[in-house]
This record gives sequence, C-alpha cells and structure tokens, in this order.
Amino acid sequence: MNGGEVARFVVSFLEQTGCHIIERSPSHVVVKLSPEADRALTNRPFYWSFVDRTGAEPETMTFAWHFEPPGTPASAASAAASPALAAQVSSAPAGAGPAVASPAAAPALASQGYFFAPGAAEAGFAAATAGTAALPLPGGRILTEYLHFGSARLHQIFDYVRQRGRNVLLFAEPPRGARAADPFSRAYTAWLGVNFKVACECDMKREDLYSWGISLATGVIDENFGERLKACRLSARLSPEIRILRSTLTPRKGMARLEAHLERKLRRGDFSWAVEAEERRREERERVAHYYRQLIERADSEEQRRTLEERLKARETEIDWQYRPRMTVTVINCGIFHFPGID
Amino acid sequence: MHTLESLPSAAEAARRVHPLVELRVDRSAFEELERRLEHNGPWDNWTLYQLAWEAEQAMRVGDFHELWSLRMLPRLTPLPHQTETAKRVLRDMHGRAILADEVGLGKTIEAGLVLKEYIVRGLVRTALILVPSSLVLQWVRELNDKFGIPAVAQKKPHHWDNAVVVASIDTAKREPHRSRLLEREYDMLIIDEAHKLKNKRTGNYKFACALRKKYCLLLTATPVQNDMGELYNLITVLKPGQLGGEPEFSATFVADRRVPKNRELLQEALGRVMIRNRRENSDIRHPRRFVTTVPLVLSPDEQALYDGVTEYVRSSAREKGLGTAAALQLVTLQREVCSSRDAVFLTLFNIFKKAEEGSLLRERVGRLVDLLKGVKANTKAEKTLELIQSMDGKVVVFTEYRATQDYLMRFFAEHGLAAVPYRGGMNRGKKDWMTELFRRRARVLVATEAGGEGINLQFCNRIINFDLPWNPMRIEQRIGRVYRLGQTEDVYIYNLCTLGTIEEHIVRLLHEKINMFEMVIGELEEIIHVLEREETLERRLARLFLEAEGESDLRKGIDRLGDVIAGLSRRRRREG
Repeated sequence: MNGGEVARFVVSFLEQTGCHIIERSPSHVVVKLSPEADRALTNRPFYWSFVDRTGAEPETMTFAWHFEPPGTPASAASAAASPALAAQVSSAPAGAGPAVASPAAAPALASQGYFFAPGAAEAGFAAATAGTAALPLPGGRILTEYLHFGSARLHQIFDYVRQRGRNVLLFAEPPRGARAADPFSRAYTAWLGVNFKVACECDMKREDLYSWGISLATGVIDENFGERLKACRLSARLSPEIRILRSTLTPRKGMARLEAHLERKLRRGDFSWAVEAEERRREERERVAHYYRQLIERADSEEQRRTLEERLKARETEIDWQYRPRMTVTVINCGIFHFPGID
Repeated sequence: MHTLESLPSAAEAARRVHPLVELRVDRSAFEELERRLEHNGPWDNWTLYQLAWEAEQAMRVGDFHELWSLRMLPRLTPLPHQTETAKRVLRDMHGRAILADEVGLGKTIEAGLVLKEYIVRGLVRTALILVPSSLVLQWVRELNDKFGIPAVAQKKPHHWDNAVVVASIDTAKREPHRSRLLEREYDMLIIDEAHKLKNKRTGNYKFACALRKKYCLLLTATPVQNDMGELYNLITVLKPGQLGGEPEFSATFVADRRVPKNRELLQEALGRVMIRNRRENSDIRHPRRFVTTVPLVLSPDEQALYDGVTEYVRSSAREKGLGTAAALQLVTLQREVCSSRDAVFLTLFNIFKKAEEGSLLRERVGRLVDLLKGVKANTKAEKTLELIQSMDGKVVVFTEYRATQDYLMRFFAEHGLAAVPYRGGMNRGKKDWMTELFRRRARVLVATEAGGEGINLQFCNRIINFDLPWNPMRIEQRIGRVYRLGQTEDVYIYNLCTLGTIEEHIVRLLHEKINMFEMVIGELEEIIHVLEREETLERRLARLFLEAEGESDLRKGIDRLGDVIAGLSRRRRREG
C-alpha cells in the first residue's frame, strides 16, 4: 500500500464509522473521531467505561494523519495547515494558540514517544518523525501522526475492519429501464460468497487469496466472484418488486462444496516447498541425533544418559516445530449475495 | 474424505493434501454467518467487508523469501549488507544464525529485520531477547522506534507475559524467572553479546541451551574463531552437531586451542551458521578522521601549581609505598591539575578535610591550595574557546571531570557561547532533552560521559578532548558518539595537550605510538581485552609515572608499552 492507497483506505474507514473530517488533502486528513472509531483506536477503555456509566457527553479525540513521509513537500504543506486548525478544533476560546511545552515537561513527553509541540519547535511536523506529536490545546489537542503501511495505527484500523466486516447479506440493485420490465430480471437467486486465505508454512511462509462464490440455486462455482461483486451495485435493502427464488443448497452445503473445490485445487498445486522443508527437517534431525548419540554412549551415569536423551528429544521437537510443512485455510469473511437471474 | 454435501467435523478438520502436508481449516467466519442467518442478522457494512478484504490483500505474504517487512518500514533505510544478511538468515539458515559483524555495522538492525520479517509473516508471535542489562533499554527503543515492534523491557514478573520481551540475561537465568521461562516456548530467541555463552560450564550457557525456541539469533562482535572451543560451544547452543560431535570436530578442525586447521573447510562449515561482515567489505562510506594535537604551554602560575602537585604526589606515593592502590590513586591529582583548577581543588579539599588539624599533611595541602588560588585563568579553556570560534558547526567538548564541566559551562556562558551539559547521572529523558537542545539551539555540548546507553550525535563532526581518559575504551566511546553509522562528514578530533605534564606523555602514547584515534572502532576492544588480562592500562600507566626515575626513563617505559600494544594490533590484523 502506498501513501495514496492508505489515504483512500483510511478515509473510507472514517466515513463508514461516522467520523467528522475537518480537513483533507491527498496527503493528509484532520479528523474528529466518532465515538465508535474512538473506542476502536484510542485505547481508552477506562474513559469509555466512565462515559458509559455516567452518560457523560463523550469528548472524542482529534487526529492529523499524514500519509506521506515527514520531510516531503506534500507533508510539509499539509503540516503547515494543521496548527492553524488548532483554534477551530478547540472548544475553549481562551488562549487557543498552541501552548509552549516547558523544558521540564518536554523530556517526559519525549520519553513517551511524544515530541515537541509543533508550535514550540520550528520544525513543526518534521519533529514528529520520532512518533506522535502532541499539540497541547486548552480543552483538547490534535495528535499528529505519520500513518503509513506498517504503522500501528493502520493495523488497528485493519483489525477493526476485519472484525466489523465479517458477514454481509446483500442484494444487487434491480435493473432499470427496458430490462426492468423483464420478469426474469426480477427473479433473484442467492449466492454464497467466501474470501479464503491459504497459507503454506514451514520455516518460511507464503499466502494465496481466493474470492469465490457458489450459487445456492444451481451449485455453480464462480472463481471470479470477487470481480463480479466489484462490478455491481449492492444494497442491504430488498426492493419490493423483487422475488427471491428458492435455494436448493443450504449455505452449509454450499460451503462444503466450495471447500472441496478449493481442496482439489490445492492438491494439484506445487509442493516442492514442502518436499524441501521435509528434507531439511530430516537432515537436521539426523545431525542432532548423531551428536547426542555420541554423548549418550559416553555418558558416565544413568542420570546423565537420561538428561541427554531428554535434551535430544527437546531438540527434535524444536526441529519439527521449525520445519514441518503445513497448510491452513482461513475464511476471512463471507456473505449471502442476491443476483438477478439463475446461473 | 468427507462427503461432498457436509462440512468435515472439527475432528476431521485437519486432513492431508499431500503425503507431507496437513491442511487445517478455520471457518469460524462462516459459522458466524450461519448464526446470523438464523437470527436474521445483524449484518455488517458492505464497505467494511470490502475494506477487510483489501487489508488482507495488502498484508498477503506473496513470496517465501523476499523481505516483505521492508514495505512496512518506510522510515528505515537499511544498508545493503544488512538486508543481505537478513535474507541469508531467512533463506539459507532458516532462522538460526550467529551474527558476528564487526562493531558498528549494525547487528541490531540485522536482528531487528529478521525478527520483524518473521512477525510480519506470522511465523513469530513471541520473542525473548536476552542482553546485558546496560543494553536492555536501548534494544527496547530500537525495536519500537525503528521496527515498530512493541517490545517491552522486563522489570516486573508480569512483563514476561508480553509477546516480545527484552531482559537482562543475568536476571532471566535466576530463579524464579528461570523456571518460568523454561516452562514456555519462544518462537524466537535473540541473545546479544553472545560470546558470554562460550563457556559451557556457565549458567548462561546452560540456560540458553535449555530454552525452547524455534528460531534463534546469537549476536557477537568478538571474532569467535580466536578460540576453537568457544566457537564450538556457541554453535552447539544454536545447532548441536553442526560441526560434528566433539571428537570429530577436534580431529578435523583443531590444531591447537587457538589455531584451527583445515581453515577452508572450517570457513565453509561456519558459513552455514554464521555471518561476519567486515568494515572493509561493507558498502559504508567511511568518513575520514583528522586528529590534531593542540599543544599548550601552561601559564607560570598554572605551571607552579602543577609542579607543586607533582612534588606532593611523588613524595606521598613513596610514603604510601610504590605500587599500592593508595599511591596509584594519587596520580589522579596530576591528571586533574592538567584539566582545571576546579577539578583538582575538590580532591585537595577532601584530603585536607580528612587530615588531622595541625598535621604536616594539612600544611602541605594547604600550600597547594594557596598555589591554586594564585591561578587566575585557564589556558586550556581559553584555547578551547579560540578553537571553537575558529570553526564552523557544532562541537562536543569531552572532559573527565564534573568540576571542569561546570567551570567550562560558566566560562562559555561568560563568553556568550551557547553550551549544554551532558552527564552520566542524568536520566534518560534529560539526556534526550540535552541532545535535542544541542541539536537545535546550542553550538557546544560539554560532556563528562560518553558510554552507557548510546547518545547519537551524528549531526556533529567535531570533538575536543579537553583532557583524556586513561581507559582507551572510554576514548573509543567518545569517538564513537560522532563517528558512527550515519555520519556523513569527515570527523575532526582535537586533543589538548599541556606540554611538560603527564598529559604530554599520554597524548604521545595514544596518538603517536599506537595511533589509536584512527583505529577502527571495535579493533581496540579486542586488543585491550588481551592486554588487560594482567593489569588495566590505567594502572600500568600510573605505575610508570610513579616508578620512573626521571624523564628519559619515563619515556622509555611509555615507548615499551606502546610497542606491546602496537604488536598486539599487528597480530590481530594478521589473524583477523
């Protein structure tokens, strides 16, 4: 994910979670989080349990997220804009300018990964390279972060969408115009769409992704289901003129067929990685066994012999752990999708 | 195989897709779908569903061998030899390796890259990093700041429960920690300064062997080939039997304890578990180092004080008995007087306080204090100011003495020169703050400490040694503050040298005889390690000064010492 892709992803997330975007450019966004997003990202369980218990009006946090590395022209331009926003964001009118961090307070901030207040340090956003820059403001503050692929913040967002984007039930929008009159176009059938992740692991790892679908009316499997979904408009609401035809497969049966289909595909795959890993595993085990056998033969006492045998066993377990080839299939998310017609 | 129409039960969930390969299926997301269908929802948002899939695509590990993690570390620019090392550890050594780069080539970066790569690939979740206690915080900071790995320093028992823990090996190997750690297993174990594991009878060694780990990195800067037995032990921690059983190893590779045979065969065997990058082969552009001795003539009153102190040191040393610790201690006075009046005053004052009232000692020290009062200016400080004013850019001034540091801070302030202090006693936050002030606001940093947890001053390339420590490692640490990875400018080192004092001899020994200011960082450590097996250099020097009969005798003694060190240095280069 490059800066642009991250930006698109993050803004999409913010919009879906009802956050208030105060300012945005291609390379940055200033946002006041919604309660939902704040709970997911700011790691303030005590605060939120306080709000929940007392019913107090929640004060969510405001972030300035930059998507380009500090020091690039784009980031500098967006950084220049942020401090100006300070007054706007702050609800308290008195002395809304950025407070200057006292030298006594700053080392404490620095050691927590915070840095100089941009208002105090000439370098502004450049100062944020070390982590999060705090802009202390009466009544609130803007936290400035460089949000890139691999940053902890983005991974929090990933975790959130994984949890909150697991299962959907959707309908393709009914066709308009001439085709709308066609009775067949108003007869819908259900599909089970599944996103699979396949991992091949030994001491190393590779992953493949499959976005497949199966018609629950006919059992037809579509290996390009992901593409198909991208191409159409989907809605969570069932339009009244639409009729849904009965399915012949339960979702469970559909799933079983998809899995069986995937398994057949995997069986036909290339297993040289596993053969090589097994070879390494065997070599390592032989080497270790040879080493310990010599020592065991020369052991002075029964006790020593037992210790050595235990050690050999422990090493063998470690070697298996390290090299044993294995595969896992994980369902990332799945849903029921209704399309016009019967395939 | 299960029937086409039903999902395999949990018991059947693991099955083979190849004679060697077991397949496991995690379909919990589907089971949730079934539950939601039963209860008519609730349903997730379509965009979030798509975003989840997009996140998965971005995180996909598409290849067995590439360094996938680099895409996630836009702020880290590893050097070519570092990425190459990480790749070799992953691809050729399968995650068990000794990283034995020469000092200053960034072993920590290499280890961090390997760890990060395994974490990103989901192959490592838990990691234990054992280091000398002085390096714990530094590791934690590096892993967090450079690699975004949420490592935690072990301070309380519950810290062991974190996924990535950095701990002192001396703590970890002691109960109750020991049993706790031996009970569990770690996806990755990293041991820094691993040469401390070389002796197989020690607790460290046994503990490292007993820990259960999948991947393992041992980091060491000392060339382990110097001792065949130690080398063998180290490899046994990592991969027992890699060099054969002990008898085979001895027969094949050992001519003598320190001398290997079948060198090429050994190199080849080592190449499978060990990587040693050398400075001369790395792609690092080495900034040059320019060393200048700045000779000074003491003012008459300063010279009088120096002579007075010297006289006092010699006579008292004879009374205490040459070679005794108390006598050797006295030499400190001479060194202090070369630094500043303030530095020597403190020590004299303490002697004065301890002496009985009306004693001869009190009278003698009292006379020295009178001489001291006569000193009105500090020639060295004036010269330093002059030097700094003639230069562009920032300067670090190192002194051994806190009193001198305070004096210099006052002196610079009086002359309108912005300076900040730096001491060992400061806590981490204060040190960071001082470093930052120096970077942003001040021209001069006056430091009494160079070692400890590293401060990095690559933005500065000039050092003034206001006085010199007699422990060469401390000199190296001073240089290492600015002459390190990331320094792009040539480095200038100025040694102030008061003529006709012991300082002159020290500068001559360190600079002219053994050329230590231009030695490769790390080289000295090995030499000193050998040299100081019997006695520290500091003690040797103190003895020389006390026992020498006159100037020429002293010169000869210093020259002999210089020859010994130069010889060790030549031997190291031959063997290295």
